[in-house]
Amino acid sequence: MESEDEMQDAWAGTSDGEFVNEEEDEESDALASDDDNDESDYGFDYSNVDDLHPSSRLPQTNFTILSEKDIRQRQDEAVSTITNFLSISPADAGVLLRHFKWSVSKVNDEWFADEERVRASVGLLEKPATSKRQTQTEMTCEICFEVHPFEKMRAPRCGHYFCETCWTGYIHTAINDGPGCLTLRCADPSCGSAIGEDMVLSLVSTDDQQKYMRYLLRSYVEDNRKQVKWCPAPGCEYAVEFQPGVGSYDLVCKCGFNFCWNCREEAHRPVDCETVNKWILKNCAESENMNWILANSKPCPKCKRPIEKNQGCMHITCTPPCKFEFCWLCLGAWTDHGERTGGFYACNRYETAKQEGVYDEAERRREMAKNSLERYTHYYERWATNESSRAKALADLQDMQNVQIEKLSVTQCQPVSQLKFVTDAWLQIVECRRVLKWTYAYGYYLPENEHTKRQFFEYSQGEAEAGLERLHQCAEKDLLTFLGGTPTSSFNDFRTKLAGLTSVTKTYFENLVRALENNLSDVDIPKAAAKSSSSSKASGSSKGRGGRPKVGSSKSGGSSRSGEESTHWSCEHCTYANTTAASSIVCVICNHARS
Amino acid sequence: MSAATANTNLPRRIIKETQRLLSEPAPGISASPSEENLRYFNVMILGPSQSPYEGGVFKLELFLPEEYPMAAPKVRFLTKIYHPNIDKLGRICLDILKDKWSPALQIRTVLLSIQALLSAPNPDDPLAENIAKHWKTNEQEAVETAREWTRLYASGA
Repeated sequence: MESEDEMQDAWAGTSDGEFVNEEEDEESDALASDDDNDESDYGFDYSNVDDLHPSSRLPQTNFTILSEKDIRQRQDEAVSTITNFLSISPADAGVLLRHFKWSVSKVNDEWFADEERVRASVGLLEKPATSKRQTQTEMTCEICFEVHPFEKMRAPRCGHYFCETCWTGYIHTAINDGPGCLTLRCADPSCGSAIGEDMVLSLVSTDDQQKYMRYLLRSYVEDNRKQVKWCPAPGCEYAVEFQPGVGSYDLVCKCGFNFCWNCREEAHRPVDCETVNKWILKNCAESENMNWILANSKPCPKCKRPIEKNQGCMHITCTPPCKFEFCWLCLGAWTDHGERTGGFYACNRYETAKQEGVYDEAERRREMAKNSLERYTHYYERWATNESSRAKALADLQDMQNVQIEKLSVTQCQPVSQLKFVTDAWLQIVECRRVLKWTYAYGYYLPENEHTKRQFFEYSQGEAEAGLERLHQCAEKDLLTFLGGTPTSSFNDFRTKLAGLTSVTKTYFENLVRALENNLSDVDIPKAAAKSSSSSKASGSSKGRGGRPKVGSSKSGGSSRSGEESTHWSCEHCTYANTTAASSIVCVICNHARS
Repeated sequence: MSAATANTNLPRRIIKETQRLLSEPAPGISASPSEENLRYFNVMILGPSQSPYEGGVFKLELFLPEEYPMAAPKVRFLTKIYHPNIDKLGRICLDILKDKWSPALQIRTVLLSIQALLSAPNPDDPLAENIAKHWKTNEQEAVETAREWTRLYASGA
């Protein structure tokens, strides 16, 4: 693994010095140190995760993936810490920790601030509430009214005795009512004494014990939402702990699911959580149906049911029971119509009213709804297509890892460890598809009136798509020739090409993600400075055409070319520097108007 | 399930509680099990004095579910009553019938609590929204309506 990283860095080094970034170095150090550990520590188990580690992300030093075992261990540690600090029983420590959401420091603070109050609120009484402890050998249970020998009676510290069978029933009911059983109190309605873990587990069936322990485990995550959350992938049993600090919210669980810590949706860089939320809501919302109805139908003027006009003349008869006859254009009753209003194919009243502006608003609304629906469909289709491409690429990646790599290793006489560049390429493809997918949600919400940003965004998106296609083509088609055949010398060329494409695409997407996260702020320039920045952008984009645009870092340039400004202008679309003398309105190269 | 099988294996607790309810009834409360089903009780509560329900006889039904006493009994007013914590179906908003139930409570304690609820309506935790609103905006008038309803529906005639 280490050597691969080095190789990639070396790769980057040969083509462009800027490539070796610190993040990657940190990451490979971390990878190296954690290499052969299994799940024994709390640390992020990189040995698994690395396989599904998408690249356009910051290092994950701020997350820890916790298995159930890890969670239990943490709970045990917290309990033993509190037991030692406060000199109380482990069961009482558990009661306190559950009450204070598993925060050891909170328990300490509160306890030493006012032990009395804490004891009262969690139900850890120091003295029995009742001194009824009888000396006789038999007792009547106040729940079942049966007389029991004293050994069959149980009481928490408060001294409210009930028989074991009734306690078992009481606790069983609480456990089956849900996680509330973790803060169970004495069965005596006037008593608030806590029923600890020890008493619960000593009385109930194995089944109930398991349920209780399950709730106990879950409480560590679910009561502690700000720091620990479950991985949202179906069936995944890992939890993730977050330490506020640097880095993004995107993370990869040990199960391979890539999600956002903040909103628990799938990872969605470069788009923010709010946009994702809006977009997802939009995709499932009825609002799109509404838009369609609005755009393509008119309500019957009498019964208000929406009517779609798909053929025929303007004389509309609503379906029974309404049967209202009206004019489609002016929505007036048909009885008012005839020769004098323009007959079957036109409606003078409508034409007149339209000229007067009466129908404009409704008409405009319909028109707008229709446009907005078409616009949404455009973005949604591309978003969904990239998602299915991503799913396909993921399946291909798994096939690659499980089957093809072996084959390739045999036919090309290469050790599997030397073929990691192939899976790296596929990982990159999967990640790029994910980013590309979200750029369509980004594009949908990018305001229409920000023309410069839109143009730049669409250009960058197009380049990203083209670059990814090149990589995909190489990883898919070119590879085929090496799978079936005999060892070929051109395999090394292929390695060079694919690794190079992977690395180039990776950088391009990383920059794209960064630029979009900055909300394309480099494009966002005041009107006065428009001229100089258009040349700065030109320098950025022309680099891009060289295969590696530094989308997010066009700070430089610009000013150095200011001398040319009087004689040249940069085309917004293709960045060609036109001479102001020749044609000052339209770009000589792409025919786009000068903005 | 026939009446006979329903009544066999009646827990000792229910038998004892029934015996005590019959032999030492609480003041203003009567509860007697139905002959077909010993888990079903016909209940009558007298309107407490100094309450708008004074002079009324309120019929209720009480049922002990299979899980009793681990689960609360189910109680419902059969007589129409104007009360902020009792809705038009006779359902009662009372904590010990819900989350505050404890197996150490009994039929008797439940009925005494309901009787107390008649003496002290709690419009801040309403079940019948409009009645509660009435109670909060014009208590005198609401109390008058409750008296009127008591005369109309709970006079025992």
